[in-house]
Amino acid sequence: MRIFLSSICFLLIFGCASYPKKNNFKVVTKETPPQNVLNPYFSNPDKDYVYKANIDALGNKIGGLFIIKKLGEKTHRILFTTEMGNTLFDFSFQQNGFTVNRILKELDKKILINILKRDLKALVLEKPAVEQVFSKTNNRLIETNILSKKHYFYFDSEDLKDIVRTRNGKVIVKHHFANIENDFAGQINITHENIQLKITLTALP
Amino acid sequence: MFSTMIKKIKWIIPNTSKKGLVLLCASLALWSNLAEAQTEMNSTQSEALKAKVKKLADATQTISSDFTQFKHIDFLSNDIESSGVLKFKAPDMVKWQYTKPYNYSIVFKDRTIFINDDGNKSNLDVGGSKLFERLNRLIASSIRGDMFDEEEFSMKFFTDTESDLVHFSPKDPQFSEFINAFHIRFDKKGEVVQVKMIEPSGDFTRIEFHNRKTNEALSNADFSQ
Repeated sequence: MRIFLSSICFLLIFGCASYPKKNNFKVVTKETPPQNVLNPYFSNPDKDYVYKANIDALGNKIGGLFIIKKLGEKTHRILFTTEMGNTLFDFSFQQNGFTVNRILKELDKKILINILKRDLKALVLEKPAVEQVFSKTNNRLIETNILSKKHYFYFDSEDLKDIVRTRNGKVIVKHHFANIENDFAGQINITHENIQLKITLTALP
Repeated sequence: MFSTMIKKIKWIIPNTSKKGLVLLCASLALWSNLAEAQTEMNSTQSEALKAKVKKLADATQTISSDFTQFKHIDFLSNDIESSGVLKFKAPDMVKWQYTKPYNYSIVFKDRTIFINDDGNKSNLDVGGSKLFERLNRLIASSIRGDMFDEEEFSMKFFTDTESDLVHFSPKDPQFSEFINAFHIRFDKKGEVVQVKMIEPSGDFTRIEFHNRKTNEALSNADFSQ
């Protein structure tokens, strides 16, 4: 019985430990939270960001092109088309707003739109509200709040490598950035841990 | 002509500078010249074009053609360009093979859509919708030019010295939500040289065909996934 109770306590303490604690990050108390851009990958308004995209949702695969453009200080437009050029969805993200400009009837489902809204807001938001800063050797972890959910921005030296959304210390969604060069990510994977959904973006040459 | 135009505009917009007015008039004159270059056909001309295209389409068993596609989105600085090879075999087998800037092919045959996305093979579910199936039937018809279906489209016919142009607007409101219009340009032989699909937003996909070969043998293997 004692062992059972101890294991429950162990689970309660470590099972619900915060994401930074689980990953051995220590809070940086002295540092004031950064006010600068955390995510620079979609911050150039002169650039057309075009990615070949694959969305794998519950075993259904949809291919197409992801087109992202910064249109104002805090505004991004994200459009998903088939390879042949037919628009599947077209969203606008403002500072505190979100607009569905167009969506194919077959995809017009509230639950899907909400998932995409959260994933894509986290993908393009440059300066999320910073809550805490953690560090571990050369790595930094910045806790932010995006659409009322905890998101951790993981930096390996200066490069943003991951954005992780957590619930009760567990990873729910991970945005992973690779092939990074001059504030541009050549490869982006958005993976959901609690549902079968993966979005893979590969920049067009 | 210019001075009369300037006077008239000055009357409508009194505070415009002379330089601005000259520029405005020059662009108006240029625009009206361009509009004149493409004149609307009368019914005899349009019937003659339909008959020419239909005759050619009926005699077309296969088409193989290079294509260049331009996706125009208003908010982008540049059109997105891609290119590849198109193959068609009567009555309705079509393969679009993109080779630049990515390897992707989509085959429409036996009422199924087969995709090969850089080696990953699948059947497209969204593409399996009736809307996409219908779109493909239209694409197959549009490659041959033979889509003069009065029940399905309202049509407008234009001509100039180099080519003929037909604007097809879907009558079905559900379809026009998806594609607002097809503009198909024919050379004087009656072969399709350009297809433009315009979305309700005004964004469009323009596909230009080159090196077209008609009625060369194409086997079923040419339409494999």
